[in-house]
Amino acid sequence: MRLDGRVTADDEEYAISSASTAATAPVRVEVRGLTKSFGAVRAVSDLGFSVEPGQVTGFLGPNGAGKTTTLRMVLGLIRPDAGTATFDGVPYTDLPDPSRTVGAVLETAFHPARSGRNHLRVYCRAAGLPLERADEVLRQVGLSDAGGRRAGSYSLGMRQRLALAGALLGDPGVLVLDEPANGLDPEGIQWLRGFLRHLAHDQGRTVLVSSHLLSEVEQTVDRVVIVGAGRLVREGSIAELRAGAEGAGTVLVRSPEAPRLAEVLRATGAQVAQDGDGALTVSGRTAAEIGSRAFAAGVELHELRPHTSGLEEIYFQLTAGQEQFAAPTPGAPVAEGAAR
Amino acid sequence: MIRLVRAEWTKLFTTKVWLGLLLGSVVMVAAFAIFFTAFAGDDESGLPAVGTPLYEDLILSTAANANILFLILGIIGMTQEYRHRTATPTFLTSPRRGQVVIAKLIAYALAAAAFALVVVIVNYVVVAIHAGARGAAPSLDGDNLATLATSLVALVIYAVIGVGLGALLRNQVGAIVGGLVYLFVVEPIIRSVRATAGAYKWMPGGGLEALTATFEGPDLLEAWQGGLLLLGYGLLAAFLGTLLAVRRDVV
Repeated sequence: MRLDGRVTADDEEYAISSASTAATAPVRVEVRGLTKSFGAVRAVSDLGFSVEPGQVTGFLGPNGAGKTTTLRMVLGLIRPDAGTATFDGVPYTDLPDPSRTVGAVLETAFHPARSGRNHLRVYCRAAGLPLERADEVLRQVGLSDAGGRRAGSYSLGMRQRLALAGALLGDPGVLVLDEPANGLDPEGIQWLRGFLRHLAHDQGRTVLVSSHLLSEVEQTVDRVVIVGAGRLVREGSIAELRAGAEGAGTVLVRSPEAPRLAEVLRATGAQVAQDGDGALTVSGRTAAEIGSRAFAAGVELHELRPHTSGLEEIYFQLTAGQEQFAAPTPGAPVAEGAAR
Repeated sequence: MIRLVRAEWTKLFTTKVWLGLLLGSVVMVAAFAIFFTAFAGDDESGLPAVGTPLYEDLILSTAANANILFLILGIIGMTQEYRHRTATPTFLTSPRRGQVVIAKLIAYALAAAAFALVVVIVNYVVVAIHAGARGAAPSLDGDNLATLATSLVALVIYAVIGVGLGALLRNQVGAIVGGLVYLFVVEPIIRSVRATAGAYKWMPGGGLEALTATFEGPDLLEAWQGGLLLLGYGLLAAFLGTLLAVRRDVV
């Protein structure tokens, strides 16, 4: 864990195993043309994207967008109608040692009568790992004290941690997590964020984490793959997504002398939109530039704020109307007959 | 493969299902042996007397009555993966799913052999004590050992059938209820109705009866044929179950 020559409490906490100090071999995940129908329902259509090592990639989309189906196809649990998913060119079902290459959290269900530690030992046996790995990963996810208890007595958050521990057993280069924040308390989510970033940024692992909420993973992920109705909607870095946001790069300014300020700013070549109640939307100038111009001109400012809220809005725009079960907006008139 | 078999044993012995089924089998077999011996030779019961070869054949094959519990052992072993949704991590660890089913078949056949050994030993010991007290404990000669051994084999085969049936049906309650209804309702009807009685000898129950029973009954195969037939059903269920487990999506 001496990534920088020092041992800190955090390094201890995130320690994967003594063996993992040696960087994990980077593994690239490549998805091409995945397609799957269940009966008449097309769950995933010609979906392709890639997941790079050393980054946390968010796999986003509303409920029913086909995220879980896609992850299960990537992991060989569901047979796609068409398309491939490979780990450095190898499909999951052909990996010689899957547990050591890919760790996945898809379910938080366990045999209720089996202890968490014994649950993990089953998979140590099946993967040919030493049984001590069970205790190591329990420590890593903070479940050491609960390892001997029946998994049926675990809280939802503890189940998430146990599932994560199972994914870490083989010290894999790739981690695939389906909605891992479900059931975690705010502290647990905070911990998970740090943990995933550490696995990707410090240890070079490939991390793919799905969520239906952008806000949940916004602070964790470097790249996003957004799907809606089984199709790829957008793939790119968070920065690219931000840059593409409506209103990106604009600054909101509020002043009692808005018209005069608008003139001052226009004189410097900025585009200024005025919306009546003393607010200006300025593009082509940074907040600092606007502030110094206003100060030089002696204009009083009440607010000066770069526009940043675009990300969640874009996500909504991109995925609008693709929820599986669209509910009427509260207060909207209810269609005749629907109320009965 | 050895890893996967050991993983199955870890699964089996880290819950208490095996203990319940083993104790249940032991109690069932011991109780049956005691009642049977108590009424043996009684004119009204019509049971053969203690010390006769027929009595010894019958009493030493009572272990085979635990077949339903061994069937359930196999069914639970397979269907718990679906019931508790552990099929996902299991198939993630071993994506070649056919190997998982084969490992289960091996693991449960060997575990069932050990459990069945306990059951036939209890059967013999109870009979030896009770029948001994009534005059003549059966000796462990070739005939009687063969009778005990066929019971053991029958129990192992039923556990294998259970695994195969579980892989086929996946639903735990459905597979157990289906198994019970089949063994206690469907087969007895087929066995007793004149028109279908001829087919009975080709069914699993007919195979079991041919393998273990020696008294006058319906038309049956030879014991070894019955054993092979039973094993054939076990392997057929396992084969179909494997085929389906490999092809079906795990959602």
